[in-house]
Amino acid sequence: MAVATTRAIALHGAVGHLIDVQVDVSPGMVTTIIVGRPDAALSEARDRCRMAIANSGFRWPTTRRTTILLSPADLPKRGTHFDLAVAVAVLAASVDPSEEAPIPTDDTVFIGELSLDGGLRPTAGVLPMTMAAAQRGVRRVFVPEPQAAEAALVPGMAVFGMRSLAQVVAELRGEPVPDAPPVPADSASTLLSWRGQDRLDEVDMADLVGAPDALYAATVAAAGGHHLLLTGAKGAGKTTLAERIPGILPDLAPDEALELTAVLSLSGALPPGGRLVRRPPYAAPHHNASATSILGGGSGRVRPGELSRAHHGVLFLDEFPLFASDVVEALRQPLESGDVTIARGEESATFPARGIVVLAANPCPCGAPSTGLGAARCSCDAVKVRAYDAKLKGPLADRVDIVREMQPPTVGLAGSVVTSAHLRSLVTAARARQQERYAGTGWRLNAHVPTSVLRDRWPLDETSRRTVEEAVAAGRLTRRGATRVHRMAWTLADLEARSGPTVDDVDTALRLRRGDPLALLPVERLLLDGPATTAEVAR
Amino acid sequence: MSDADRLARVALSHLAEPGDVRVLRLVRQLGATTVYEGLCAHGGLDAVLDGMPDGVSDGAGGAGVDLAVRLGAVRPEQRLEQARRAGIRFVVPGDAEWPTGLDDLADQPALHQRGEVPVGLWVRGPLRLDEVRTAVAVVGARRATTYGGSVAGDLGQDLGSEGWTVVSGAAFGIDQAAHRGALAAGGPTVAVLACGVDRAYPVRHSELLDQIGDQGAVVSEAPPGATPTRVRFLGRNRLIAGLARGTVVVEAAVRSGSLNTAGWAERLSRVVMGVPGPVTSALSQGVHELIRTRAGLLVTSGAEVREAVGESGEHLLAVPRAPLGPRDHLPIRHQQVLDAVPVSRGATVETISRGAGIGTKEAGTALGALARAGLIEQSGAGWRLSDAAWRADRAEERA
Repeated sequence: MAVATTRAIALHGAVGHLIDVQVDVSPGMVTTIIVGRPDAALSEARDRCRMAIANSGFRWPTTRRTTILLSPADLPKRGTHFDLAVAVAVLAASVDPSEEAPIPTDDTVFIGELSLDGGLRPTAGVLPMTMAAAQRGVRRVFVPEPQAAEAALVPGMAVFGMRSLAQVVAELRGEPVPDAPPVPADSASTLLSWRGQDRLDEVDMADLVGAPDALYAATVAAAGGHHLLLTGAKGAGKTTLAERIPGILPDLAPDEALELTAVLSLSGALPPGGRLVRRPPYAAPHHNASATSILGGGSGRVRPGELSRAHHGVLFLDEFPLFASDVVEALRQPLESGDVTIARGEESATFPARGIVVLAANPCPCGAPSTGLGAARCSCDAVKVRAYDAKLKGPLADRVDIVREMQPPTVGLAGSVVTSAHLRSLVTAARARQQERYAGTGWRLNAHVPTSVLRDRWPLDETSRRTVEEAVAAGRLTRRGATRVHRMAWTLADLEARSGPTVDDVDTALRLRRGDPLALLPVERLLLDGPATTAEVAR
Repeated sequence: MSDADRLARVALSHLAEPGDVRVLRLVRQLGATTVYEGLCAHGGLDAVLDGMPDGVSDGAGGAGVDLAVRLGAVRPEQRLEQARRAGIRFVVPGDAEWPTGLDDLADQPALHQRGEVPVGLWVRGPLRLDEVRTAVAVVGARRATTYGGSVAGDLGQDLGSEGWTVVSGAAFGIDQAAHRGALAAGGPTVAVLACGVDRAYPVRHSELLDQIGDQGAVVSEAPPGATPTRVRFLGRNRLIAGLARGTVVVEAAVRSGSLNTAGWAERLSRVVMGVPGPVTSALSQGVHELIRTRAGLLVTSGAEVREAVGESGEHLLAVPRAPLGPRDHLPIRHQQVLDAVPVSRGATVETISRGAGIGTKEAGTALGALARAGLIEQSGAGWRLSDAAWRADRAEERA
C-alpha cells in the first residue's frame, strides 16, 4: 500500500476547509517533501512526525521517497495541528500488507500537534475544526485528550480523545489501546481565562435606582440587539449600566453557544475543560487597544478580536472618542454587517461579531458636567473639544440605534427597584417573538434583518411610515437612522407583545434614536409590570 | 368649633359635590348648622333662603334640589366614627389643624363653577396640615416624559431634603415623581385626591398612597368612599394650589389640568412657576405659555423654587456667571494692545502699536503693564503672548 489519505481541517478565521493529506511512499531518491502551500510551522511537521513515529515504535520509510500533499493544493495552510493527520497518513502508506494490519482512515478527521516522543499536544481551534468536519459529513474526529470535551460539544460527532500517536494507531486498527502519560492542557487557556465573568453574575440592575430612561434603553437594546450610545458626565452610571446588560440577556441558545465557544476556542480563551459557554460574554477593552486586538488579526494565524469575543454578548467601549481613529473607523462595517473580515494577501478570515456594542462618552474630554448650577466647569482646550466632538458625532454614532444621556444619580425615587431577573424575562419573551417571526431566515434579532427585507416583509403601517418620512425630510433623521427606527419599532412591539409596531412605537423609537426624552408612563409600566396586555389579563 | 357645626359639615361633605360654589358660599355666609338644619327641616334650601337678606342667595338657585337628593342616607355621627376607625380625621375651619391658606379661597370667582373654602378636609396620615410650614405644589402632565419625571423627582427631593412640604395629586407622571422624590429624601409630602382618602386612585399608586399615608398626609374634600369623577379633579386642583405657597408646573400640554392648578395659584396670589423644556416638545408648550403670557416664573432647580417661594431675602441664590478671565480686568485700551500681540513670534512695539491703532508711547506703557500682569513675555526683540494668557484664551473660546 503505497498511497494513503487522511483528513485534517485548515481554518481561515472561523471558516474551516476540509484538507486531504495524501502520502505517497514509493521508490526513488530518498527524501521527504511536503507540498500544498504549508507555512513554516507546517513544514516542520516533517521533522516532528519523523521523530514521533520513530519514538512511538513505528518505522519511518527511510529507504524510499515520501511525498506529502496537502490538497486542495492552492489553499494556504498554517499551524501545527496537521501533524497527526500527516503521521497517520505516512504510517498508513508504509504498511506492508503481508506483515501488518492496515490502518483504516476513512470518514475521520485528525487534529493535533505531535511532540518528539509521540505525545499528542493540544492546539487552538479544535471546536471550530470539529464543527467544520461535522458540516462536511465527517463522523469521527481524533483530538488531543484535553480537548475531547470541547470537540464533543458538536452534536452527532464521535470524538476520540487521545494521548499519543501509538494510541491513535491502535484505536484505528481496533487493537487494545496502550497506556501513555497524560497530556497537559494548553497553557494559554488559563492565562486568558474569562476573568471578571463571574463578577458580572453578581451585579444587578437593581443597583441603578431612579434611571427609568436608561433602564428602558438597555432593555430595548438587549431585546432587539441594538447598539447603544451613552453620554453623560463622569459618575453618571454609564459603566454601571453597560456591565449589567449581559445580565439581562437570556442564556445563549445551543447554536449561539456553539458559535461563541468556537470563537473563544480560536482565540485560545476557552476555559480548560472545554465547557460550552452558556452565558452571553462581556468585553470591555481599554481605549489604548489596537485595531488588531479589537477587530482581530495578528501576525501568523489570524485571531478573533474583542468584538468577536463579545459575539452574542456585549462589547463596551468606554470613552469611545479616545479610541484610536483607525479603531473607530474600522468598527463601522462590523456594526452594520455583524461580522468582521480581515483580508490579508490572498487569505481572508471572517469572524462573527453580532454582539451589542455599547459606546460611552463624556460630554467633553475632562468629563465635567457642562450644565447645572454650581457644577464643576469644564476646563478643556477648545481644539481638543472640537476633535472630541467630531469623533462623538462621527459616522460611528450614526450606526448606533439608541442614544441616551445619563444624569448623575440623585437619591433615586422611592419604590421603583427593577431587577435584572425581571428585565431578563422581558427580553427573553421579546426575543422569543422575534425568533418565531424570523424562523427559517437565519436572522435571530430585529437588528440583524437587512433593510430591503424589512421593508418588504415587515413594513410599517401608512401613518408610521409617514412619521418616519417626515423626520427624514426635516433632516432630523438620516436614511440609515430611518432603518434603525424601523427595526427598533419592531423591538418595542415585541417587548409589548403586540403583533406589530404602532405609531407610538415609531415615536418612541425616534426618541430613542434622537436622544429625546421618552414618555414616562409606558416606560415605567414596562419596567415595573411588563407588557400591558399580560398585565391586563392578570388584573 | 362646636360638635354640631362639625357634624353639620360632615353631613354637608356627603351631600354636596366638592367645590360646589353655590353650596359652599351659603355655608360660609349662613353657617354650616343653619344650612344643614334648614335642609333637614324643609327637605330643601328654598325656605332657608327666603328669610335671608338680598345677595346671599345669588347663584344658589338649584343648590337645594341637588342637596335634597342625597339627604335621606346621611348619618353624620356614624360616618365620623367609621372614618375615625379607619384612621381618617375630619378637619374643619377653626380647628387647630386647619390650614389657613385655604381661607383665601373665600369669595374668589369660580373656575369651571368650582371654588370656595371646603366644608372640611378628610385627612389620613401623621402630618398635621397646620404644620405644613412651607409647602410647594409640584404638578404636571400625567403623560410626562422621562425628562419631566426626573426634573420633578429632583425638585421633590431637593424640597424634601430641606424640610419643605411637597403637595401634589398622586397622579401618574409628574405628580408621582414629585411625591417619590420627597419620600426618598424623607421629606413631608401631601397628596390631595379627588376621591375618598380611603381609596387608591389610580389603582397602580396604592402602594405610593400607603407610603404617603404613613409618612405624610393624604387629603380630600370628598368623603371616604367617594369615587373620583372628572368634575372632582377640577375642584381638587384649587386645594393643591391653596395648600401651597407656590405652584411649580413641570410639564403640561396646552390643555392640562395642571394649568388649572396654576390658574388657582394665580388667583390666590401665590407664586406660579414653570420648568421649561425643549421648545419642540408638545408637553412643555403649556408651561412655556404660562411663562410667556401669564405670571409664570421660570425655575430650573429646587434652589430656585425655594428662592422664589421663601420669605423675601431668604434662600437667595448666587447669580451664575462665568469666572472672569485675566483679560476682563484690563482697561479697554490695554485690551486693544493685547489683541495686537502675536501668539508665537515676537513683534516690536512699533508693529504692535500699528496693529492696535494706538500711539507708540501709550502702547509701550500698556505693554509694560501687560508684562507685569504676566499676560505677555519678551521674545527676542519683541513681545508675544505668555503661555498662561494663551491657555486662558483657549478656555474662554470653549465657553
